[in-house]
Amino acid sequence: MNDRRSLRFGFDIGGTFTDFVLIDEQSGAIRTHKTLTTPHDPALAVLQGWQELVSAADAPHVESAIHGTTLFTNALIERKGARTAFLTTKGFRDILEMGKEMRYDIYDLLLVLPEPLVPRRLRLEVEERLNGRGEVVTPLCAPEVEQLAEVLADEGVEAVAICFLHAFTNPEHEQAAGACLAERLPGLPISMSHEVAPEIREYERMSTTVCNAYVQPLAETYLRQMEVRLRDAGFARELFLMLSSGGVSTLETAVKFPIRLVESGPAAGALAAVFYGELLDEPDLVSFDMGGTTAKMCLIKDGRPAMSDNFEIARVHRFKRGSGLPVRVPTIELIEIGAGGGSIARKDELGLLKVGPDSAGADPGPACYGLGGDQPTVTDADLLLGYLNPEFFLGGRMTLDRSASERAIAGLAAEMNLSALDTAHGIFQVVNENMISATRVHVAERGADPRRLKLMAIGGAGPVHAYEIARALRMRGFVCPASAGVTSALGFLTAPSAFEFARTHIARLEPSGLAELDRIYDELAAEGRQVLRKAGIAEEDMVFTREADLRHVGQGHEIVVSLPWDRLADTSLEEQLRPHFFDRYTEIYGHAHTHLDLEITTCRLNASGPKPDIALPEAEPGSDPAAALKGSRPVYFAETRSYVDTPVYDRYLLGRGTSVEGPAIVEERESTAVIGPRGLGEIDRYANLVVTLRD
Amino acid sequence: MTTTDPFAETPDFDPVSLEIQWQRLISIMDEIDFATVKTSFSTIVGESRDFACILVDQNGDSLCQSRFSPPNFCVVLPRTARRLLAVHPLETLREGDVLCTNDPWIGTGHLPDYILLTPVFHQGKPVAFMGTVAHLSDVGGHRGDIEAYDVFTEGIRIPPSKLFIEGEPNEFLFEVIGNNCRVPNLVLGDIRAIAGTHQIGIRRLRDFMDDYAMPDLVELSSVIHGRSESLMRSRIEALPDGEFEFGLDIDGYVDIVHLHATVRIQGNDIHVDYGGTSAQTRKGSINCAYNTTFASTMYPFKCSLVPQIPNNQGLFRPIHVTAPKGCILNCDDGLPVQARAKVTNNINQVLFGAVWPILGEHAQAGSGSIWPFSVHGDLEGYGSFSVSCLPHGGRGAMQGLDGMPPIAFPHNSSVTPIEIMETQAPILILHKEFRPDSAGAGRQRGGIGQRMTFRNIADSTIQGRVRPDKMFCAPPGLDGGVPGVVGEVRWNGRNIDRFPPLDLQPGDEIELLMPGGGGFGPVVERSTEHIRRDLEAGFISEAAARRDYGWDGPSEASTG
Repeated sequence: MNDRRSLRFGFDIGGTFTDFVLIDEQSGAIRTHKTLTTPHDPALAVLQGWQELVSAADAPHVESAIHGTTLFTNALIERKGARTAFLTTKGFRDILEMGKEMRYDIYDLLLVLPEPLVPRRLRLEVEERLNGRGEVVTPLCAPEVEQLAEVLADEGVEAVAICFLHAFTNPEHEQAAGACLAERLPGLPISMSHEVAPEIREYERMSTTVCNAYVQPLAETYLRQMEVRLRDAGFARELFLMLSSGGVSTLETAVKFPIRLVESGPAAGALAAVFYGELLDEPDLVSFDMGGTTAKMCLIKDGRPAMSDNFEIARVHRFKRGSGLPVRVPTIELIEIGAGGGSIARKDELGLLKVGPDSAGADPGPACYGLGGDQPTVTDADLLLGYLNPEFFLGGRMTLDRSASERAIAGLAAEMNLSALDTAHGIFQVVNENMISATRVHVAERGADPRRLKLMAIGGAGPVHAYEIARALRMRGFVCPASAGVTSALGFLTAPSAFEFARTHIARLEPSGLAELDRIYDELAAEGRQVLRKAGIAEEDMVFTREADLRHVGQGHEIVVSLPWDRLADTSLEEQLRPHFFDRYTEIYGHAHTHLDLEITTCRLNASGPKPDIALPEAEPGSDPAAALKGSRPVYFAETRSYVDTPVYDRYLLGRGTSVEGPAIVEERESTAVIGPRGLGEIDRYANLVVTLRD
Repeated sequence: MTTTDPFAETPDFDPVSLEIQWQRLISIMDEIDFATVKTSFSTIVGESRDFACILVDQNGDSLCQSRFSPPNFCVVLPRTARRLLAVHPLETLREGDVLCTNDPWIGTGHLPDYILLTPVFHQGKPVAFMGTVAHLSDVGGHRGDIEAYDVFTEGIRIPPSKLFIEGEPNEFLFEVIGNNCRVPNLVLGDIRAIAGTHQIGIRRLRDFMDDYAMPDLVELSSVIHGRSESLMRSRIEALPDGEFEFGLDIDGYVDIVHLHATVRIQGNDIHVDYGGTSAQTRKGSINCAYNTTFASTMYPFKCSLVPQIPNNQGLFRPIHVTAPKGCILNCDDGLPVQARAKVTNNINQVLFGAVWPILGEHAQAGSGSIWPFSVHGDLEGYGSFSVSCLPHGGRGAMQGLDGMPPIAFPHNSSVTPIEIMETQAPILILHKEFRPDSAGAGRQRGGIGQRMTFRNIADSTIQGRVRPDKMFCAPPGLDGGVPGVVGEVRWNGRNIDRFPPLDLQPGDEIELLMPGGGGFGPVVERSTEHIRRDLEAGFISEAAARRDYGWDGPSEASTG
C-alpha cells in the first residue's frame, strides 16, 4: 500500500438520504454511498455510512472530512427551530415583522407574508442607541439587560438574537449585552448581528441574526455529536463544513454561524462546475442543474461562481422573490426556477400554454412513470419527442410508459386545440424559455456575455434540455461531465478551504484614505491567517484576495470590485483605482459616471488554502463512435421541425477522442444528452462529453 | 362543455409562441428594472422603488412592464406616450433620441414624476419605446409639497422635450433641470442612470426581434392586447349587471373632500363616473389630473378580476372612466397637484365600497395609507442631503383575512432603512413600532398601524416635510367592520394639522401616528381565539378588547 495515499470524505445530509463520497486524491478513484437519513440523530446515519464506505485500511488515510447539510434550511422552512428571543434597540422590535413594507406581488390582494420567527412577546427591547456614525447617543442600560436575562429564563428561551441599530459600525453595545446574558445564562446560544452579518440595513441584519439564532441550538447539538461519532469511528482529523459561499469552515465557526451553511447543497453543485471548468480550461460557464422540480443556474466567471449577499429563505411562494425571510450571508448565487422534469403543463386563463412551477415531483411523478400521475409533464413531452428511451430510463432500472404520456398530452392537446406533437414540443419550448429568460437575466446582471460561455449540464434533465438552451442563448456549446451522478458530491471535495471576512466601512475614496483601507484589510487578513492556521494550512499556501463594495458617491447600491493590488496606498486613485471601478461598472451597466467621486462601503477579504489536487481517472482512448452505437430512433428537433432518425450512442462505450455528429443521442445511466443538428460532441480526456455548436 | 369561448372573436394565435415571446418581453423589462435600482442615486428610486419600467408599442400602447413596477404608472404611460408623439412625431425621431416630460396633465399627475421614453429602432424603423416613470428627488419650486396656490409654485414643468438628441445629451435641458432643483446630483444622476438602462433594454429587444425575425411588434402587440381584452371582458360579463354607488369623505387637506363613485356594470363593460365628487381646490395640492384618476380606477378591478395576467393596455379597454371637468378628480391645468396621492390612494376604497358585495374574497376595507416624510438641508459632514421615507399605516381587512401590518397599498414601494436615513441625514429615529389599538375591529380585524418619530440632531435648522393622511376621516370598514383609528402628527408633543415645510430646530421631534386599517364583517363574529391572540401580541389592549369586542376573558391574557 502506498503510504502517500490521501483520501477525502464528504457527506451531505438531506431530508431523505444521506449521501457519501470518498475520493482518492492521487488516483481520482471515487466511491459513493447512500443511506437513509436518521432525523432524530443525523449523526447515526453518518456513522453507518462511514463504516460501510471507509474500510479499516482506508481510515488512517482520510485527510479531511467535509460536510454539507440541508437540516438547517429544513428547520427554517418547517419552523422547527429553537424557541428564540430577539433583543433590539428600544422602539424597534416590530421591524422584524414590518420588514420593508413592500408587497412581493402587486396584484395579489390575498398575499400572505412569512410569519416572523420570533413572536412579538419574545421581541424584547433595551434602552441604548448609537447614531449614524456609531457614536453613543444613549448608553446601554445594563440593569435592563440583567432583568431581561430573567425574562429569557422564565420564558424557557433556547436561543437569543441581538441586533442593535448601527452595531455594524460600533459593536460595543451588542458585545456588552451579549456578555451580560452569557454570564447570567451560561450555555444559551447568543447570536449578535455585528458578527453574523455586519452590514448596513437593519431589517436584513435583524432577520439574518434571528435566523442564525433559530437554528443555533440544533447546530450545536448535532455538529458536536457528529464530531464525537466520527472520532469514535477512527477519523482523527478536523471536520470541515461546507458554506453557502462555497468555502468551508471549521466546526467552531459553523456552530456559531450555522446560517452560513443554509445553501451548502446547491453551492456544491456550482463548485463542481468550477472544478470541471478548470479541467476543461473553460473558466467562464453557466452551471445548469435541472432535476425533477427545479432548475438551478449559476454563472461561473473567471473560475469563480456568482456571489450574492442577498438570499431569502423559507419563502411563502417558493419562486416569488420577496416572499421569504432575507438572509445576508455570502452565498453562491444560484437562480432557481420551477422548471424540472416533473413540471406540469396546463392551459392558462388566456389560453396560453404554461409549464410549472407546479410539479408532479417523484410521486406520482410524470404520467409515464406509471405511478398514477395523469398530468402532462416535461418528462412526458421529452419522451414523446424521442429524447428519452422508455427502456433505458435510469439505466434501465425503470421503464417509462409511453402510452400514458400520450394520453396525458392528448388531453391537454384537445383542450388547447393543438396537435399532440405541437403540444409536446410546446411544453419543451415553454419550459426551455422559462430557463432561458432566467439565465439571460442572471448572466446580464453579472455583466457577462452568453456568447462567450458554455453550459455545464447536470441533473437528470439537464443534458436533455442543454442543447436548446445553449442554442437560444447563442452559447458556444455545452458540457455533460463524466459521472454526472456524483457531480454534486464532487463539489464538496474540490473546494479549497476558504473563509470570507467583511467589514462595513463607508468612506469617500480619497488618496489620503487609502492607508486606512490597507489597515482594515490587514486586520481582516490577520483574522484570516489565524483561521487558516487552525485549519492546518501552511503559511506559504495561504492566499488572500481583497474585494471592495464600491459605488458612485450618492448612489444607493454598490458593486463588488476585486482589488488586485497588495497595498492600496501604493496605487494611484486616478490612474488605477477609479478606472478599475468604471470598467467593471460599465461592463455590468453599459455606462459609468466618470465625473463623480467614488465611495467604499464594505471591505471584503477572502482567505483560502490550496485547492485539493484531484486527478480524475482518464478515459480509455477510442476513435470509432460506431462501436458505441446502440441503434437509432426518431427524434424531434426544432430546427428541422420534424422527427429525424437519430443515432443513439452508449456513453460508456464512447472512448476518449471520439466525436459524434449531431443529431445524436448519447445515453447514460443518470441522463440522456440530446445533441441537435448543429452540435458536434467530443469525448475529452476525462470522459466528459463536450458539445460545440457549429454555425 | 357549453361555456362560451371568450376568445372566439380574437385572431388566431399560437399559444406556445405567444407564451414564450410575452415572457421574454417581461424578462427584458425586469432586467432594466433591476439595473435602475442598482444604478440610481436617490433613495426614492433605489430604496423606495418609486418607478416603473414599461415597454410601449409603436402606437404608444403598453405591452408589458417589469414585475415589480407600480401599476398606476403602467396605465398612464400610454396616454403620455401619445402626447409626446403628438409633439415629436414618430417620423421625426432618430436613433439615440430620448423624450421626456414631467407635465402633470400629460404624465402621472405631479411634477416629480419624470417620464423618459426612448424609441427603439430596428432595421432603421422605430418599432417600440422603452419607458420609465420615476419619482425624482426634487423639481425645485416652493419647499412644501402640500400647500400651493398653483402648479407653478410647485416646481419646474418640462414640456415634451428631447433629453438626448441622437445619443448626445441635450445640455441645455440638463442645465435647466439641474439649475431648477436643490439636489442636481441626485436628479441628474437618476436621469442619466435611467437613460442608460434603456440602452440595455434596446439591445435586448433587438435580439428578441432578430431571434423571431420580426420586422416590428405590430402583430404581437395586437394579439397580446386582443387576448387580454377578451379575458377581461369575459370576467366582467360574469359579474351581475347593475349600478353601485358609494360616497366617502376623505381628508382633503384644509377641507374634507367627498369622493363619489357610480359604478355601472353592463354586459362586458364597466363604467365608472365620479359625478358628485368635490370640486377642485386651491387649498391644498391634492387635485388629480384625469390621468391619475383613470389609472387609480383600474387597479382594484385588475386585482380582483385578472390578478395573474401581466399588465397591458388590453386589460383596461373595457373600463371607462368619467369625472366632471373641474372636480378634484379631473382638475384644470394650472391647479396645484403635488400631493395628489392623498386623493388617489382613496379611489380604491370608494370603488370597493361600491362593488364589494359582488367581489367576494377580493374586496378590501380601507387602508391606513402612505405617510411620506423627508428631510432636507445642507450641512457640513452630510453635504447637501435629501432623504425620504415612505412608511404606511395598516392595511384594510378582507372577507377572509385580517388586514396586514404596515405595508404599501395601493401603490408598492419599500421603506427606507433607518440606518440608511441616519447615515445620510442628521436625524435620529426614536422608534418605528406598531401602534396598539389602531386597527378597526371586525370579524376580520384591520391591519395594525405604526408609530414613528424622528428628531433633528444637527446643530442647526433642517427642513422636514410630512404628508400624513386619514387624520380626520378614518379608513372605512366593510360589511359591518369598524373603521381604523385615524392618524395624528405631533411636533414636540403638540398635534399639528397643517403641513407646510417644517423648519425643524435642533432637537425638534416629529411623531407620526399612522392609522390602522378598517375591519371587515361584524365584530361579534370575531373568534375568541383571535381576540386572545391579538391581546397576547399586544395588538389590542385589554380595555379595547372589552370595549370593542365585548371580551370577558381573564385579564392575565394580556402580556404584550
